Parts: sequence; C-alpha cells; structure tokens
Amino acid sequence: MEESGSVDSVESLCSSTTTRSDRSSGPRVSDTELRSKAKAVEKVYKDPSKDELPLLPEELVQDSAKDVTYICPFIGPVRGSLTVTNYRLFFRCTDREPVFGLDLPLGGLSRVEKIGAASSRGDVSYGVVCKDMRNLRFVHKEPEDSLKKSVFEVLMKFAFPVSNNMSLFAFEYKQVFPENGWKVYDPLAEYKRQGLPNESWRISKVNDHYELCDSYPATLFVPVTITDEELRRVSSFRAKGRIPVLSWIHPESQAAVVRASQTMVGQNGRRCKEDEKLLQAIMDANAQSHKLFIFDARPSVNAAANKMKGGGFESEDAYQNAELVFLDIHNIHVMRESLRKLKDVVYPNIEESHWLSNLESTHWLEHIKLILAGALRIADKVESGKTSVVVHCSDGWDRTPQLTSLALIMLDSHYRTIRGFQILLEKEWLSFGHRFQQRVGHGDKNHTDADRSPIFLQFIDCVWQMTRQFPAAFEFNEYFLITILDHLYSCLFGTFLCNSEQQRLKEEVPKRTVSLWSFVNSQLEEFVNPLYVHYPSHVLFPTVGIRHLQLWVSYYIRWNPRMRPQEPVHQRYKELLAKRAELQKRVEELQREAANRMASSSSERAGSPTRSITPVQTFV
Amino acid sequence: MFSGKQTKPTFKSYLPPLQTDLKKSPQLPIKKLEAKLLPGEIVVNEANFVRKCIGAESCQDDLWGKLVCTNFKVSFIAHNSLPRQRFQCTHRLLGEHDIPLACVEQVVTVNDVKGKQKILGSNQKLKFNPTELILYCKDFRIIRFRFDEAGPESAKKVCLAIAHYSHPADPQLLFGFEYVGKRYHGSTGERVNGVDPGGGLQTPLFDCSSDWDREIKRTGASEWRVCTINQGYFISPSLPEFFVVPVSLADQDLKQYACCFYSQRIPLWCWNHSSGSALVRMSNISDPQQQRKVEQRISSAITKSHPLRSDVFKSDLDKNLPNIQDIQAALLKLRQICVIDSFEESEEKWLSSLESSRWMEYVRTFLRHAVEVVYMLESRHVSVILLEKEDRDLSCVISCLVQLMCDPHCRSLHSFQGLIQKEWVMAGHRFLDRCNHLKRNDKEESPVFLLFLDCVWQLWNQYPAAFEFTEVYLTVLGDSMWVPVFSTFLFNCPRQRAEHSRDFASSKSIHLGQDQALCFPPVWDWSQQFSLKDQTLFNNPLYVGKIATCVQNGTVKTFTHRRSKKNYSSTLRGLPSALRNGSLGPNDTLARRNSLMLRLRSDLSQVREQQETPSERFVRDFFSRPVDLQGLLLPQLLPSHLSVWKLYFLRWVPEAQIPQGGPITAFHKLSVLTDEIEMLQNQLRQYQGAAGTPNNLHAEHSKMYFKATSTPHQSPAPPEYLSSSFPFSPVGNLCRPGILGTPLSKLLNGAKIWLSTETLANETI
Repeated sequence: MEESGSVDSVESLCSSTTTRSDRSSGPRVSDTELRSKAKAVEKVYKDPSKDELPLLPEELVQDSAKDVTYICPFIGPVRGSLTVTNYRLFFRCTDREPVFGLDLPLGGLSRVEKIGAASSRGDVSYGVVCKDMRNLRFVHKEPEDSLKKSVFEVLMKFAFPVSNNMSLFAFEYKQVFPENGWKVYDPLAEYKRQGLPNESWRISKVNDHYELCDSYPATLFVPVTITDEELRRVSSFRAKGRIPVLSWIHPESQAAVVRASQTMVGQNGRRCKEDEKLLQAIMDANAQSHKLFIFDARPSVNAAANKMKGGGFESEDAYQNAELVFLDIHNIHVMRESLRKLKDVVYPNIEESHWLSNLESTHWLEHIKLILAGALRIADKVESGKTSVVVHCSDGWDRTPQLTSLALIMLDSHYRTIRGFQILLEKEWLSFGHRFQQRVGHGDKNHTDADRSPIFLQFIDCVWQMTRQFPAAFEFNEYFLITILDHLYSCLFGTFLCNSEQQRLKEEVPKRTVSLWSFVNSQLEEFVNPLYVHYPSHVLFPTVGIRHLQLWVSYYIRWNPRMRPQEPVHQRYKELLAKRAELQKRVEELQREAANRMASSSSERAGSPTRSITPVQTFV
Repeated sequence: MFSGKQTKPTFKSYLPPLQTDLKKSPQLPIKKLEAKLLPGEIVVNEANFVRKCIGAESCQDDLWGKLVCTNFKVSFIAHNSLPRQRFQCTHRLLGEHDIPLACVEQVVTVNDVKGKQKILGSNQKLKFNPTELILYCKDFRIIRFRFDEAGPESAKKVCLAIAHYSHPADPQLLFGFEYVGKRYHGSTGERVNGVDPGGGLQTPLFDCSSDWDREIKRTGASEWRVCTINQGYFISPSLPEFFVVPVSLADQDLKQYACCFYSQRIPLWCWNHSSGSALVRMSNISDPQQQRKVEQRISSAITKSHPLRSDVFKSDLDKNLPNIQDIQAALLKLRQICVIDSFEESEEKWLSSLESSRWMEYVRTFLRHAVEVVYMLESRHVSVILLEKEDRDLSCVISCLVQLMCDPHCRSLHSFQGLIQKEWVMAGHRFLDRCNHLKRNDKEESPVFLLFLDCVWQLWNQYPAAFEFTEVYLTVLGDSMWVPVFSTFLFNCPRQRAEHSRDFASSKSIHLGQDQALCFPPVWDWSQQFSLKDQTLFNNPLYVGKIATCVQNGTVKTFTHRRSKKNYSSTLRGLPSALRNGSLGPNDTLARRNSLMLRLRSDLSQVREQQETPSERFVRDFFSRPVDLQGLLLPQLLPSHLSVWKLYFLRWVPEAQIPQGGPITAFHKLSVLTDEIEMLQNQLRQYQGAAGTPNNLHAEHSKMYFKATSTPHQSPAPPEYLSSSFPFSPVGNLCRPGILGTPLSKLLNGAKIWLSTETLANETI
C-alpha cells in the first residue's frame, strides 16, 4: 500500500488506490510478477539450449519434439513443441499470441497410448488420460528412422517409472526448504495434546517393529486393562491384524473414537474372547456411558457377504452393550466408477441443458453425502451421546479413515488449522496405512488396476464441503486442498508415497524425499483463509442434505476455460485488512503526536489518553 | 418473519398434559391476548385455545394462544412465547407469528377425525368442523394451527374469515387503503403513520420530471428529453406521466404514433450507455398497416439521438424468453420440491427435480439474454430496443439486468431502488395482477419480480463486493410484495394508483389537503418495516463503493509483492500446472496465458469448426481480464456456476438449516472488520477536526449490523444464534406433515438408512 499520507487525507487513503484500477493494468501486474519470477527461476535453470523451460533441481530434459499437435478440446488443434523431463511434460506453442502452454507432472498421468494406426501422412495420435480429470490428445509424426524412439515412448517410460524399474522423481528432487515437513507429525506429541496416556489408555509397544500389523503405525494406544498378549490374540481375529486402537479421545467426556478392521467372524460365527474384552474395556474407559457404538461403514448386505470370505461384523450377542450401525457407504469400486462418470460429465464440456440430472446420475454427491452423514453420526455419538465408538469397514484403511478423520474435524478444532490438518492426514491416513501407492498407482502403468480408487479425493471433497458450510471455521483455504490433491499425484514430494508407515521407513522416504508440508509450511500465507476465526471448543455439525452439497467446480471443472475461479470475498477481505492496518497506523501516529504534545506542553491535566483501538490479529 | 431461533433439544413443554387442558384453559389469562392492531386495522374474527404447531410430529413444542383474523393479517397471539435470545429482529407491521392476508396462498382446513380436507376460497361454506388449519404462504412458509381445544364453531368461523378476507373482492379492500387512509383522519391533520412518502427518501421515485432529468444528465443522454404528454394519463393508461423520448420526436408525433402501440405505449427510454447507445423498451405495434412506418420513424429517431448515428438493434423478448406462465409453473415446481415434498423423498431426486422445475434454467436464460444486450451496447455501440408484446414483464427484467451489469451506479442501494422504481413501478409492471393480490385470475399470477431478484442474487453471488446491498435485503424486498401497504407492489400502473386512491378518498370522504391522491409509502421507506438497527442488515460490508479499488490492484498488489519475497518460485514453477491453471491469480503468468488461449474459440468441441460468434468473443474477452468491480460485470453462465438462492428458498426448511454456519458466519467476520475500519476512520476524523476528545457517536452511526467488540486483540466468534437461515427462522414456519420430529434427528438427518438401527428414544437424553 502507498506510504501513509497526512492526516487530512483520510478519504484519499481510500481513493489513492483507485488510480490504478483501470482494467488495462491487469496484465501489467502479471508482467511484474513474471519478471520477479523469472529471476528466481534462473537459479535452477539447467539446460541453456531449451530456454524458457523452468526446471526444478534435478529435473532433466529427456526428449523433445517439434511439430507436435495438441488437440485442445476447447480451442482446437494447437501446433507446438513437446518436451519430456524426468518430472513432467511441457507443451509449448510460441506461434500463437499469447503463448499457449501445458505443463503437467508425469505423476498425474494414468495412461498414455497410441490411438489407431498411422495415417497416410504418417501421423500418429496419442491419448493421455490424467488422474486430475483431464484427457489430452496429441498428434505426432512417427520418426522415419524406426530405430529412433518417438517422444511418446520416452514419455511412457518416464510417466511410469515404477513399471520401468526406475525411481520416482520424488527421490531425485532435492529442494531445500526452511521447514522440514517430516517433523510435522510426532505421534507422542499429538496423543499428549489429547491428554494421553492417562489412567485408562496406555501406549503399547506391541507393534514397535510392525510385527503385529504391518499396515499399522508403531505407536498404538489401547486400554490399560488389555495386555500385549491379548492384543496379539485380537490381531488374529481382525482382518489384516488391524486391531481396535484409539484415534481420538474427547477432552471432557473421555468418549473415544476407536478404529479397526472387520472381525473375522466367518460363516461359522467365530468369536474371540480377547476382542470382546477389548471392546468392553474401550467402553469401560469412558465412565459417561454404558454403551458402545460400532459403526460399520459398509452397507449391511456387503458386510454380510464378507462372512463368506471369512470376514463379517460384531454380533450383538457376542458384544453385550454394543450397538452396531451400518453406514451404507459403498466400496472402492463403486467410487471409482462414480468418479469415472463424473469425469464424463464435466470434461471437456458441460451439457448445459441436462447438467443437474447428469450430475445426479454420477451419484458422486450422493456418495459424498453418505460419507459425511456417517461421520456426522459418529461425531454426534461422541459429542452429544458421550459414547465411545468403534469404526471399521472391511480392512479399515479406506472408508474408516474417511469417517474417522471427518468426525475428528467436526469434533476437534485443532484439525481445522493448517498444521492440525497435516497432522490429521499424517495420522489417520498415512500412519494407519491408507494404501496410497495402490489407490493412486504412483508411476505404475497398470491403469486398469482394480485397486485404484479416489478414496482420498473423496475425503478432501468432503472437507471442502464443510469449508463451504462453515466459511470461518477452517484456517486453510481451497487452494490448500487443491495443492494437496495435485501433489497426491505429482510424485514431487514423498508424503503420499508407499502404502504404510513401515514401507515408508523401509524405503527411507523421510530421508530421501521432501515432504509436501515442507513446501506448504514455508509459504503458509498462500494457504490461509483470511476469514478464519479460531473458536477452540466448537463442534461443527454440517448439514449433509444434498441441497447443501455442491460440486466442487474449482477442482473438477478447472480445466474449462470458461471457469474463472475466484475467491472474491477473500480478496476483498485482504484489502480491508490492509486498509485497517493503514488506518490503525495513522491513528497510533496521531495518538503519539497528541501524547507528545501534551507531555511537552507541561501536563496540567492528565488528559485521558485515548484508548487505542488496536483490534485483532492481522493475517498478512 | 424474523423470529426466534430453533428451539433447543432441552425445550420443555409449557403445556399442561392434554387431558387437563380443557379444565385448566379457562384460567389462562386470556384477556391479555390482544392482537396488536395497526391504524385502520380491525379484528374480523378470532378463536381462543388454538395451538400453533412448531414440530410436525409431536405437539410438545406447540404454542398455545389465540388466532385472530383482521382485515390485514392472520395473527397468532401466543400465550407462551418461544424462547427468545439476544438476537431479535422485529417487524414493525407484523408480529412474530403474523401472516399478512396477502401472503396467504391457500387456506386448507382439515378434519382428521373424519378424514376430510377442504381448500377454502372466498364466501364458501364448510360442512365439517375443522381440527386443523394449514396456511400455505406465498413466501414458501407452511403454517399449521390445531383446534383440538378450541370451540368448534369459533374455529370454523375464523377459518372462513381468513379464507374470505384473503380473497378481497376489490383492490380498495387491500389493507393499504385503510392504513394510509387513516393518516388523513384525525382532527389535527397530522399524519398518523408518520411517513411523508417521497420526502426524506434518497431513492428517486421517477414520478416527477426532475428525477428523469437527473437520469438523463447522469447518463449523458443529451439527445433525449422528458415528455409530459401523458400528464393526467390522457394518452396511455399504463405509462407514467413522465417519461423520456428522443428529442427529434415532437409531442405531436408521439400523440400520433401512440395509437399504433399496444395500450398506446409510446417507446420508453431506459438508459444510456456511456458510448451514447440507448436502451429503449417498446410494446408491439398493434396496427399492422402502420407497423413498418412507425417502426421506421421510431428507429430513425433513436438513431438520430445516438452520437455516432448508430443503428438500432431490436431484441424480441417474447421469442427468446419464457413467458409468464412458464415462470409461474417453474416456481410452483420449485416450491413443491423445496417445502412441500418431504425432505427425505425430495432429497434423493433433488438435482433432477431442480432441473425439471426449470427455474434455474430460466434464471440463466434471462441472464444470458441480458448479456447479449450488453454486448450490443458495449461492444457494437448500437442502441437496443427491447421488444415485448405489452412491454410490462420481461423487459422489466432485462432492462434492469442490463443496467446492473453495465452501470456501477445501479449497484448502490438507493440507485438499485431507483432502478426498480423506473423499470418496474413507473413502467407499469402489473404488480397487482402478477402478485394476484385479489386472487381473481391465477393465469395472470407470475413471479417475474422474484425471478428478477434471483437473477440479481446470482450476480451478487458472483461479485459480492460490487453491490451495496446484501442477500438479506433482496430476500426482504421479495417478502415485502406480500405486505399490501406499499405503493410499490399494490398497483398495475401509476394511473391505477392515482384512480384508486382518488376513489377511495372520495368514498371515505377523506380530505386530502394538498395531496392529489392518497399517499402510500413506497417500500423504500424501510422504517415502515424495520428499525434502523435491523436495516443495517442490508448493508454489505464488502461493498467497494466509489472509493475502493479493483481487486487485482492497489492493496492486493501489495500482498502479492510481499508474498513473492517468500515464494519458492522455482518450486511453484515446478508445481503441477494444475495449480496455476486452477487459480488465475495475478502471479500465474503461464496459466493466465494458457487460459487466455484456451478461450480463443468457442468451447464446445462439437462446434469447434464453427466460428466463435462475436458476442461469445466479447464474453471471453471479458473473462480474460481482471474484474473491475466498478465497471462492467458479466455473470458466469455455466449451469455449474449458478446456485440455488438458498436463503430465499430454503430458509424455512429446518433440515436444510446449517446451525452456526452458512455464509452469514463470513458476513459476520467481514462486518466486524468493516466496523473497525469505520471506527478508525471516525477516530481520524476526530483528531482532524475537534483535536482530540473522542466521543462515541460511533455506535449509532455504524452501518454494520455486527459491531466490532470493545475488547481489542480478539476476533469475536460468530454468535451462536447464527445459522444459514439467519435472520429468518424455520421454527414454526414450515410444518408439513411427516418431517422428523425431534430436533436431534433433524440435525442429523442425512443417511437414508438413518432410523433403521437407531433407537431414537435413547437419543433425546
């Protein structure tokens, strides 16, 4: 903002900013930005022959080709040059004014393939399917020398390093950030924040070396009355050994959120005395309630069908005082199919006349609703019912983290801060073994893999829905959520690599890669919601009706050029903050002046010093 | 309207058990239950021991009291009131449980013992004793009363009275006449209701030539003049006495042409674009023989008034837009899914039902058409004639939207009101018929004005900082149509107002004094309805006004600069283009170019070969530039970018309420900040002027509803009573049969399997 003027221009403070407000100045702003950015880019600049391409540390150009045509669904064919690095794909068309460019990390590619045979002119068409709701199409002449590889073959190699026995770019990337994001989550500190251990809950070392359960974290919290030996026996009764352990405890009522996998009841109705004892102990750890709610995320039919495969659910006979609730959330395959339909509806173009019914037919929002509704019921039981809950699905690594982490966001305002949210992801998703590698398929060319599913995307969507309903309750903004999703796929950071804590340690991911949180926490202000109000013990109960759910257009429809994402309220709020800071400064200056004047003119009366109205933290 | 917040789960019944009701009831101090009457208001009928339903299934929250029908409203005077809290907006004309008769859409009486139900009209008979009365309101409320303990005869009588009085046989039976007439009685000649219509209002009413003169000057329409030939309404019955025409048309010509137009409506000037292009509205020419000649004359006169002598473009609204019956049908369907269908059932098919109501589609069609007109004015620099058969419905919407998009002046509160005055009230929108105040002809009923408000809301929602008013203002403005007191919404045209008020005055032998007719307050006199404090809910804390800056510049730029210092630009560069394409911030140079390019041609792949139309190009150009909130604003028209106006349509639905959430929580935060800024500015002013001695005039002068706290360094949490329905409350305002009863289950509504394994009994601890 401009230097502060004199007192007599109170109004001019406001108008001084108007002078540059004509529309034409818009591009100028970006020019300055461009210049300042270009400088910074030069430092990491690697390949002088390919000028313009801003490369990251350790990013190397692998191949490039001229005369590639990008068939843009919005503006038609664009001719330009295509460059493949070990991290991303660049497409540049400099003939056009303004310059047209595509710049996407290879991690975002799910499939690259030749479409059809070469045409009479020797042109071959390539299709690129992206994980971020885009499909790209290129046309390129086959190299005449059949020994020479086409740029697309190079692309396929580097897009799927895992399938080609190469390492992901995250292991090369060596950017140094002031903050080390791998230190964001310290399990003991997080449990300590919750007041643990306490007289009812203890740390168990039983999984210290991941021998009890290889998909669980090393640090587990269990009721004090249960021995490690009993836990071992419970682990044989729970799918994949994922025993019931504590996720979160209510600071006042001591009602706990406990997560697990399904019981291995099977068709014969097996029982496990230790498991029953464990659940009883969980209930007893909370003096406020003589009941325990077990939330099975699945539709009851699916849960019953699992008995055929040896799984199942807790019978109310075996578990006295427990009430079992099914939450009707469908499995990973249904969700994958729903997202596929959604992609058809939003990309590339929206059919205007049937937008709403098309959207409805994808069922995407319906799934979002069921997940939010399930989390809401859990949060309500814990908060209002003061009852402890056990949450599980089949394996306890997909729907279970969706439900527990959403419920925790509702219950604990800490998880609505930027750092708290990082901790939540590190804890509920990463340490408890959501199979990111499998669900996303990092660097793997097997795009039809039935284990892929947008479970995490769905969770982030649910969080976004909550931020819409409570615009002042979250410290982070939409950009933060989109950044997380983009780096879920990018493979630039190590955060979302591997399937479990054990695997990440084995691969030395924290040592060899950079954490996404290093990047995020080094420029937090980008991700701050200016409207955030911290009110500590405030539980959020979102309204989960379809009327209040909306499609996240700035994520799913962001490739549409008619989409102009904007957060006008946030922008305006920042302007207002700046204005307040400016006024405050001036008032303080004047107060000082007045005080000085009074002091120098020998205070005959100890005039009431004007109470300084210096409200509130500034978010800038 | 504004009423208490949702009852807490702990809410206790203040009623004695049912069996003892009859015995105990007479001891209730019923004498205190008197309807609060306005001047000119009389009680027509009343029934005691009536219950107003609050929850649908259980009656434990119900209120107990007296149901009164007056010539203005259905009033319920509760014996025990809903728990009140700090927040209390009070309507000055209506009590918490009152419904103006004009707001009643349908009166339904039920006898649940006999299983009978009847919709009551005027002067009808009722063969059974009603146990229940359901009032379906035009503002989407559904209110139920039970007569279990009331005398059967008095229950029947009050129902018949409500039905009868909500169907007035004559406009002069609308309450506004009695109400306004009263102010001329009283020996002192003082105005009873304390309002001097027009006087003291900042809103131009366009009922005098000076308002038009000012508008001509403001828009620089030097080749246009105020025409007075319709004074006394001698030329056209539906035109105002003053309107604006091209200078090249003499009064004599106009008189001659008038007879060719539908209802003698000479084309009306609406507004001039800064380029000199004019926006004109015109009715059809009824005489086919004269059509070409007259059309040519008018067109050439408009061309002459253009500084560049540009052509005239005719935009046929009837061909391109839905008609009034379509709009009415859409609203009825929308109402069905919003409030009448059970929440759970409509939930499943919400999106497709919303689509089949076509309401959103119509909103989009109107906005898109307005954008087309804007393109002609802004880019082609031609004048535009809006052509509609009668020129009294669709053109009101389009001309207003065009002006809102082009002219930042119209986005201030008073100018917006002036705009409605100019394009709706004076231009003769048939408010009396479209509101169907007399319930005579359902075919004429159509929510054209509400559709317009929804279009404005969409613009507001996309550019919230560009408007001085809030969505509460738009909602309350829509509701005011059903308070039949205001000159704004009572008549079909200015002439009708003049005639009716003259007739009424003479029939009641009212001495009008200097006034020529009864003076109804315009709705713009908001003090008629709300206290000054409550009116601050209309002020938008985000409004950039005339002093602030374009979003991309000035202060924001400062932020960007400061930010860039700490930016890991190289990394940002290395970020997936996703990020940068995803948000076209000022530092997204690459993405910015990228998306610019992407807009080069039409975005429909199937029509890729087709050349982009110039107007598409115009829109695309607009979106590739940073927005100037003080300049042209075009709405995003993708269906995915238009939303349902939830505050208006869903505010009464308990299940759709977000407790302690909704946009209002952001509004609260913004208001507090804006209030702090105001406070600081006041302080500066004081230092400047009186050199010290800060006195606290601030509190009274603040424009914000939510004030900064006196304790600094503390961002106040939003008050607990806020909800997405604020400042309205669903409590007792939407009682359709079959919604879940307990507050907890309402709150937790969601999964369709909700009750299957749930033991609700245990939940209401």
